[in-house]
Amino acid sequence: MAIRQLPVLPARASEPQISPDYVRISMASAIALRMRSGRFSRDFDFGGINLLLNYDEGCLSDCGYCGLARTRPGAYEDKSFIRVEWPLVRTDDLVDRMARHEATLTRLCISMVTHGHAYRDTCDITRRIAERVSTPLSILVAPPTLNRERLETFKALGVDMIGIGLDAVTEDLFRHIRTDVPAGGLKWEKYWEVVTDAREIFGPWKVNVHTLVGLGETDRDLIEIFLALRDRQIFSYLFCFNPEPDSRMADLAKSPLTRWRRVQLAKHLIESEGYDLSQFDFGPDGALARLRADQASVQAVVDQGVAFVTNGCPGEKGEPGCTRPYGSYRPSEPFRDYPFMPGPGDLAEIRQQIRLDEVLG
Amino acid sequence: MSHPHHAGLPAQAAAGAESGRGAGGLLRILGYPLALDRQYQPDTHMWVLPAGPGLVRIGMDALGIETSGTLAQLSFRAAGTGLAAGRPFGELEAAKFVGPLVSPVTGTLVTVNEAVAADPGLAEQDPFGAGWLIEAAVAGAAHDLPGLLADPDEITAWFAGKVEEYRLSGVIAQ
Repeated sequence: MAIRQLPVLPARASEPQISPDYVRISMASAIALRMRSGRFSRDFDFGGINLLLNYDEGCLSDCGYCGLARTRPGAYEDKSFIRVEWPLVRTDDLVDRMARHEATLTRLCISMVTHGHAYRDTCDITRRIAERVSTPLSILVAPPTLNRERLETFKALGVDMIGIGLDAVTEDLFRHIRTDVPAGGLKWEKYWEVVTDAREIFGPWKVNVHTLVGLGETDRDLIEIFLALRDRQIFSYLFCFNPEPDSRMADLAKSPLTRWRRVQLAKHLIESEGYDLSQFDFGPDGALARLRADQASVQAVVDQGVAFVTNGCPGEKGEPGCTRPYGSYRPSEPFRDYPFMPGPGDLAEIRQQIRLDEVLG
Repeated sequence: MSHPHHAGLPAQAAAGAESGRGAGGLLRILGYPLALDRQYQPDTHMWVLPAGPGLVRIGMDALGIETSGTLAQLSFRAAGTGLAAGRPFGELEAAKFVGPLVSPVTGTLVTVNEAVAADPGLAEQDPFGAGWLIEAAVAGAAHDLPGLLADPDEITAWFAGKVEEYRLSGVIAQ
């Protein structure tokens, strides 16, 4: 038995297949738009379409955990992003498909990469989409390519929400993984400057910061950033580190499920239940040791299941819009975040995984 | 829809203008290859081909493979394991899907196709040939196994109906 490294692109074409005329889309998006055959292991509605800019040079950043990192071995077209193939498609074909399937779409998102043409091409693609499709559109931005004026342009073009992939939640970690690396140079300050500008331009709860669990941060680090962002009316979106083969962090294990579930719960309690720092106790290693809360009320939150649904930009009616099924785990692995509301069987598993009695009472 | 409903029609009618004989004697039904020299379990898309006295070769047809999505991994129970019709003999994992490989026969798993285990792409490229999955020992006549479609007209009509069903439900690209 063997796990295949799935190819990202078919054989290289004679003409460059680069943005803005070409983009990659997530495999889930390709299935939803019927550009690829396939299905999901579970039956659920899915309408969150994710696009990724594509360049021959790839992304010029070099983040230790990312499949697209500049110094990750191999040709760019053979690299994977969050493990599976991202099919390359013509942008105009994609927009046609979006228009055809618009009734089922919940959220669109363009992911920039660090590249000199990324801003120009993101504007171009945004225009092409906005002309034909009214599904709310987000951009996951590449801060090195942006300034305040460019964010204002995104807003004027009809972009609804902005995401910033901070990923590493402390300055030290960010520097270690994203700045002081072979072809790095990303700046912590620049990321926060873009967070601040985006918050001012796009308004409350229209900006999100991606926080990646499992890069070496503590629970305290995560909870402190969840609180700081909530107080600025900015969403934290949780992502689970998923080691990419051949990346510099390929040998780092994923977070244990118990920790992951408790972090999901803590973030939900902060964002939706108004918890503050005094309600979390930490051990000497920064790990969550105790929740100062009424056991029944926390249990009720767990039983609702919302805390364990994928964090993503909402649909038009506030429903989960970008749910990235199997985005940070294989279909054969336990769910990390659920692209649907967990059912009774899922909740039974979650209760076993989270071991709530150890941090309550 | 551009494709009429074909379920229940005889092979020739179901195949219609969009079908024909392809390479290796395979029929093409609405764009998908189909081999008529074997039996099929209609719920799981598993085919069964006699491979010797008391021995059958088992694989998954092109439509079953296609609707699973891009294959990532095929895993199998060990040789010598007992097989029961309707029970798993392994697991198929694709980009966004995981599910059991369900045995169409009762018997004993004799051989795993190590080539397809090492490269699941073989099952995508040649589902009726080099992409076979396992060989199994069965009791009785290998050409007339219970619960399987054996009549070419029945097989063709069933397959055409499935293509249509999958197109309507959106699991095949179009």
